[in-house]
Amino acid sequence: MPLLWLCASVLAIAVVGFVFGRQRALSTAGGDIRSLHSLPNYYGWNVFMKATVPAFGLIVVWLIAQPLILQNSIAGMIPESEIKEGSNIGLVMAEVHRTATGLENAVAAGVISPALATDANADSAAVTAMLKESGQVVTSEISQSLLNAAQAFRAMNAKGNLWMTVLGLVVALAAGVFAAIQCTKDYKARNAVERGILMLLIAAASVAILTTIGIVLSLVFNTIEFFRLYPALDFFFSPEWAPSFSGRGGSSKLGILPLLWGTLYISIIALVVAVPIGLFAAIYLSEYATPRIRGIAKPMLEILAGIPTIVYGLFALLTIGPMLVSVFGQDGLGWMGGGRAVMTAGIAMGIMLIPFVSSLSDDIINAVPQAMRDGSYGLGATQSETIKQVVIPAALPGIVGAVLLAASRAIGETMIVVMGAGAAARLSLNPFEAMTTVTAKIVSQLTGDSDFASPEALVAFALGITLFVLTLALNVLALFIVRKYREQYE
Amino acid sequence: MYDTEKLGTDVNQNDTKISARNVQVYYGDTHAIKDVNVDIGSKAVTAFIGPSGCGKSTFLRCINRMNDTIDVCRVEGDIKIDGEDIYDKRVDPVQLRAKVGMVFQKPNPFPKSIYDNIAYGPRIHGLAKNKAELDEIVEKSLRRGAIWNEVKDRLHAPGTGLSGGQQQRLCIARAVATEPEVLLMDEPCSALDPIATAQVEELIDELRDQFSVVIVTHSMQQAARVSQKTAFFHLGNLVEYGDTSQIFTNPKDERTESYITGRIG
Repeated sequence: MPLLWLCASVLAIAVVGFVFGRQRALSTAGGDIRSLHSLPNYYGWNVFMKATVPAFGLIVVWLIAQPLILQNSIAGMIPESEIKEGSNIGLVMAEVHRTATGLENAVAAGVISPALATDANADSAAVTAMLKESGQVVTSEISQSLLNAAQAFRAMNAKGNLWMTVLGLVVALAAGVFAAIQCTKDYKARNAVERGILMLLIAAASVAILTTIGIVLSLVFNTIEFFRLYPALDFFFSPEWAPSFSGRGGSSKLGILPLLWGTLYISIIALVVAVPIGLFAAIYLSEYATPRIRGIAKPMLEILAGIPTIVYGLFALLTIGPMLVSVFGQDGLGWMGGGRAVMTAGIAMGIMLIPFVSSLSDDIINAVPQAMRDGSYGLGATQSETIKQVVIPAALPGIVGAVLLAASRAIGETMIVVMGAGAAARLSLNPFEAMTTVTAKIVSQLTGDSDFASPEALVAFALGITLFVLTLALNVLALFIVRKYREQYE
Repeated sequence: MYDTEKLGTDVNQNDTKISARNVQVYYGDTHAIKDVNVDIGSKAVTAFIGPSGCGKSTFLRCINRMNDTIDVCRVEGDIKIDGEDIYDKRVDPVQLRAKVGMVFQKPNPFPKSIYDNIAYGPRIHGLAKNKAELDEIVEKSLRRGAIWNEVKDRLHAPGTGLSGGQQQRLCIARAVATEPEVLLMDEPCSALDPIATAQVEELIDELRDQFSVVIVTHSMQQAARVSQKTAFFHLGNLVEYGDTSQIFTNPKDERTESYITGRIG
């Protein structure tokens, strides 16, 4: 039975259980809702929940476990001689898998009789020819042992699927019946459903946390692998970044310093652009603007936040770069070689961050109690004195938090850098030179045909984890400051 | 309404500090203050009493134009301080507020040190020529606020770390530091416990020597204790205004009598 039908059947059992559980609870109470412990629907949901959750849980576990178990038992069937020079067990297994799928499809299309497909002594050459004829993807001549492995794979897979279907339905039925029997008028169905909802929420939260842990672990393991191939001291302190991909010869120099410098330089320029503009915009919007202007200006500013970063990249490349070149380039001051420069990317990124800074600061400034402003006005202060000396100092910790959050976004930004800042890794103080950042280099190290065992590819993980630690530290600092600020008025 | 004009003129004209004539206040379409006429004496404590929402705080906020900061609020009529119309176009509300200080219902110290809280007003108005003078102003104001002894050893601790009663006295000291001529107090004790209230009341009594104090209060006992003149507001009207002793012992208006005996409000 296909998976879709299995799920549909389980759901059907659950729906029947819902109706039955509700009815049963009502009938034990003699039709009087008031003598039930919970509302009738809770009894229904109780049965529904208990029928679906274990059955779907079993199906999910089965779907994850079955391929793994099959893989292991089939791998044992393949003789050592089958694994050719330059190949590995993974590639052979992929072929087995393909052949099995091919057989399946060919049988379904009627090209190969079911008997022949399961016949262990079938001529492998003939089967190959038939598979090719029916349009199935088969790379080369299938050897006898490979064919046998594929046949075994197919048989076990079918058996596994059958068992999964049977067990899934049995579990759904058994649990449903059990839950329905529970449904008497004194059963605390409402509490059971509440617990179920709590479990659902906990599960959702755990998925998010487990994913984070998974990401960090994958970074950590690959980074350890990288440091086994490349000395950590050179990575952190060498001032040169010159990867050479295997084949071109020579050894790579993979120093993070030029990339880190590029990242920080571009981020600093972005913040120099974004913080004053964003902050002043926030002050205007929260303190001076009339509700009508605020109602128009704030959404307009926030539209900036919705623009994809690649569009900012285009803007940097096509507008900011040429504009800077016309002033600082060969025809002007002669400081700038080409349109791609730290300055170009920094300004574009700064524009991207303006709504981020202004929107967060605006919320924080609005959170400063009106009593503070009244106190200041009551002493004869003007509006700008009040803002400068009372509102901003009171909001400062929050504003610092907002700036740090913006900084961690700037550090993680990729697209604008790729398009606006160029790809040359260098340590230089000139903001009109092309430089590159950690993120842009991660992209270039991993795109294309990269061998994941070489230090040139693995370095991306070391770069990634460095960046992760950097932004994490900034975020923690920001959260710490923001939290400290919150305590001040509560 | 009624004979408020006559009542207002009962006050000795020689030392009238604030005089209000035909004051109307609107919040959008709501007519919050209706035709109020009152003369507030100098170097005396005047109490505004009345049930919630009767307009006494609104009227108080007209005296230093704090209502300007509320967009929908509109004030009509004349309010004169020392004979000068404060709603005249030439009057800068900022300078007016330096002359007419205000203390709010909830203590609102700035998130700064105690010293900086007091020095805030003198600094923005340039009252001190140097650090020594500023130190002197801060000490004098804290002494006037009857809080000097409690905070003299921790002038650089944050003002928000003080207790509620201390915070309110700090706010009074802060208002006094700018050398105002009139001090407006909007229910200054409503957030305080009885002991802190007693301290603040004692302070108000002392402040009478130098300032004209106008206090809004919900507590009739407080009005009786601290004030020389009392004004009773009801539904936006100034119902009765006169000597505190007369208002509480021999009210002329029926509504005043009902209020002070607890039948309305």
